[in-house]
Amino acid sequence: MEKLTKTQVSILASYSMPLVLLSSFAINALLVTFHISGGTLRLVLLAGSFPIGFVLGRLIYTRRSHVEIQFDNSSFRVIKGSKEVVTGFWRNYRMVSLVLDQFGKPNLRLYKTKGGDHVDLPISRTNAEPQRFRDYAQSLVDGRSPRGASLQAAEVA
Amino acid sequence: MKSSTPSESAVDLFESRLIRGGTRLIADLTEFFRDYRVDDTTFTIYAKGATRNKGFLLSRFLAWTVLPNYSVSLFCVDEGSALLTTEKVRKSVDTVARIIKDEDLKWAWLVFFSDRDFPPPIVSFISRYDKRELGLAAASTSSRQVVLSNNQVGRSIGKQLKLRKTIGSNRTWKN
Repeated sequence: MEKLTKTQVSILASYSMPLVLLSSFAINALLVTFHISGGTLRLVLLAGSFPIGFVLGRLIYTRRSHVEIQFDNSSFRVIKGSKEVVTGFWRNYRMVSLVLDQFGKPNLRLYKTKGGDHVDLPISRTNAEPQRFRDYAQSLVDGRSPRGASLQAAEVA
Repeated sequence: MKSSTPSESAVDLFESRLIRGGTRLIADLTEFFRDYRVDDTTFTIYAKGATRNKGFLLSRFLAWTVLPNYSVSLFCVDEGSALLTTEKVRKSVDTVARIIKDEDLKWAWLVFFSDRDFPPPIVSFISRYDKRELGLAAASTSSRQVVLSNNQVGRSIGKQLKLRKTIGSNRTWKN
C-alpha cells in the first residue's frame, strides 16, 4: 500500500509548547531545590525543557492527531493517531470531489450516490497534491486504470 | 499545495486558482468536481459555493451580518482541439440554465476553453448574451483571446476569476 502523510507542524507545536513550559517549571523547581543558581549552567539546564517538551508533544501528536492515508488500486484507509477512522473500497463510490474546509484547505470527498452518503479523506493533512490525487481517485472510482504518473504525482508534496 | 507545473493545462491552472480562493471576493466556491456529467453534457469543472464566505472572526461576523447567502456555481467546458460551435454553446447554456432553476442558484458562471480560435458567430453569441443569472466566457489557449458576455456576472469572470491571466493573455476584448 502507498502512504500519504505529513507532520502537521502547527498541531505538533500546539501540543509541545505547553509541555515545554511545564517542563521548564519542573526543571526550575529542581534547580531551586538543589541550589543551582549559576547563570550559564542554569540556562543550559533550562534549555533542556525544549527537547523534553517536543519529545512529549510528538508522542501525544503521534497517538492523537497524526494523519496517514494508505491506499492502493482497490482500497484506502485513513488512520488518525492510533485509530483507523475510515476504510473502504474505491469501487463502492460513484463520485469524487475536492471540498474546501473552513480554512480553505482541500480534502477529497467520495460519494456513494450523487449528493448522498459520502466520506472525506483529509488529504490536506498529508503531502498529497490535491488535484492529482483527485484525478487518481476519480479514475479508480470510474473503474479506469489510473494514469501512469498519477501515483507518483500523488505523493509529491 | 504544489504550485502549477508547465505541463498543467489551462483548465488545471484555472481550477487551481479557484481552489486557492480566486473567487473569494464575490463567491466562496467550496466543492469542485471534474468531468461532471449532466444528461449528455460533460462539464470539465463543476464548482459549487455560496456568496457568503466563511472567513475567520471579524470577516466571518461581517459575512453573516452583511452578505446574502445565495447559492452559486461555476461550470467549465474544455473543448480541447475541437471546434467550439454555437450549437455546443447553446446546449451547455440550456443545461446550466436548467441546473440554475433546479438547484435554485442565484447565478452561475460558464467558461469555455478551446485550443482553437473562435469563429465570429461564437464571439457574437457570447458577447451579446445578457441574461442576468448566467455569465459566459470563452478563452482560446492558442490565440489567447477571451470573450465575455455582456452582463455583470460575465464581466466578473474577467475581473475576479482572472481568466486572461490563466491563459497568459494580455489581449482585451471589448463590446
